[in-house]
Amino acid sequence: MSTIVLDRAAVRVAVDGRPAPKTLLGELSLRLTEQRIGVIGANGSGKSTLLRLLNGLVAPSSGTVTVDGSDTVRAVREVRRRVGFVFTDPLSQLVMPTGREDVELSLRRSVRNARERSSQAEATLDRFGLLPLADQSIYELSGGERQLLALAAVLAVDPEVLVLDEPSTLLDLRNRELLRRTLAGLSQQVILSTHDLDLALDLDRVLVVDAGSVVFDGGPAAAVAHYRAICAETLPAPGPGPDRPRLNQPHVSQPRLEQL
Amino acid sequence: MSGHGFLFANYVPGNSLLHRAPLWLKFLLVLACGMASFLIVDWVVAAAALVLMCALFLLSGAGFRRLFRAVRPVLPVLAAIGLFQWWQLGGPTAARIVLNVLVCIVAASILTATTPVQRLLDGVASLAQPFRRFGADPERFALTIAIMLRSIPFIAGAYSDVRDSARARGLERNPRALILPVFITTVAFARQTGEALAARGLGEHETGEHAPPATPAAGHSLP
Repeated sequence: MSTIVLDRAAVRVAVDGRPAPKTLLGELSLRLTEQRIGVIGANGSGKSTLLRLLNGLVAPSSGTVTVDGSDTVRAVREVRRRVGFVFTDPLSQLVMPTGREDVELSLRRSVRNARERSSQAEATLDRFGLLPLADQSIYELSGGERQLLALAAVLAVDPEVLVLDEPSTLLDLRNRELLRRTLAGLSQQVILSTHDLDLALDLDRVLVVDAGSVVFDGGPAAAVAHYRAICAETLPAPGPGPDRPRLNQPHVSQPRLEQL
Repeated sequence: MSGHGFLFANYVPGNSLLHRAPLWLKFLLVLACGMASFLIVDWVVAAAALVLMCALFLLSGAGFRRLFRAVRPVLPVLAAIGLFQWWQLGGPTAARIVLNVLVCIVAASILTATTPVQRLLDGVASLAQPFRRFGADPERFALTIAIMLRSIPFIAGAYSDVRDSARARGLERNPRALILPVFITTVAFARQTGEALAARGLGEHETGEHAPPATPAAGHSLP
């Protein structure tokens, strides 16, 4: 299992008209070693930014992120070879017109021989039950098939870690279940963000992110309960009434943020 | 996103003569058609060339529907060009120009309908090998073609979607309501594609251990 270490990593971006940079993710120190790790939290809380740090799609403004000792900024190529990334919308990830071609594109760097590349692509598609759809246009596939294809294209190069940014958000119940089973059967370390709390309950460790900070880090049941409590507190009371104050202060009770 | 037609025909598996023809010969065919569009001055010759190209396309087994789908997206533009040229230079010249463009599109469609994309990319990468001595990465040439093949139908689809939205709001005559959203969608698409490629480690320098992350945060800047 890989070890991903965030050492006081923070992400800030300059915004026009603001004197100070906006903080997307506050200073964070984590050591990720478990096989199944989840990140849950509200929209815009910083989940995607946290995940993008892990394969170098976002560079930390301060601090460092390393994957088995490789820095995500200085050794980004090595990191991306080890860490595969699956986006929420598979259409933003699939580059080629058909599934077969997209999986073969993934393999271009690692497999030079065209025949070998083709047979490896077929084997990958077959593993995910996608071979009958290999030559169909990606626009003719269902949402679940596209998501599985995006997953297959990333797993074709056999990364050690798989990072998935809300992979089930666009899926219906059946496809969500299919994805859950597929992820459960993978040997890779899986780190995913999700709004599907049932999926989060299957994981080994869950981080709750709120307003750019990890406010809870622990077992899935406790994390989901913590997240529900945050949601309940920040939800306005039903019906008309006076403006209510926002109660989204970070809840740092019982955190299990590991110190380096 | 609707309207994701392909400007050129998608690959159709088969074993026709054209499928088995070497890639360089098919490249040469496209090149010859492109050159001929400058050299042919008689619309009758252009029409004959178009008939020949269409016959070759149909011989590949790709079918009439795919042929029509390949040329359909450019028909409105060609109609506008043809009418303008007719008004300016007369019927024969207008017919020659329109027919020559169609010859090029059908020839390119023959190439894409009978050649798997990966073989096409391998061919482009091989052609780009001589540029390696100048520091160029041939795989990047191939990737550029792959991105172009993906981007053209997306932008066409984006335009189609935006036009439908503008119609629904009664803004179909407002150019700003058409152009600006397509422009923004295209920029967002380019960014998404860049991120997707970066996440998969595609398009990076073969020896580049110091390649920059796709999204620089404050304090980091792209070179």
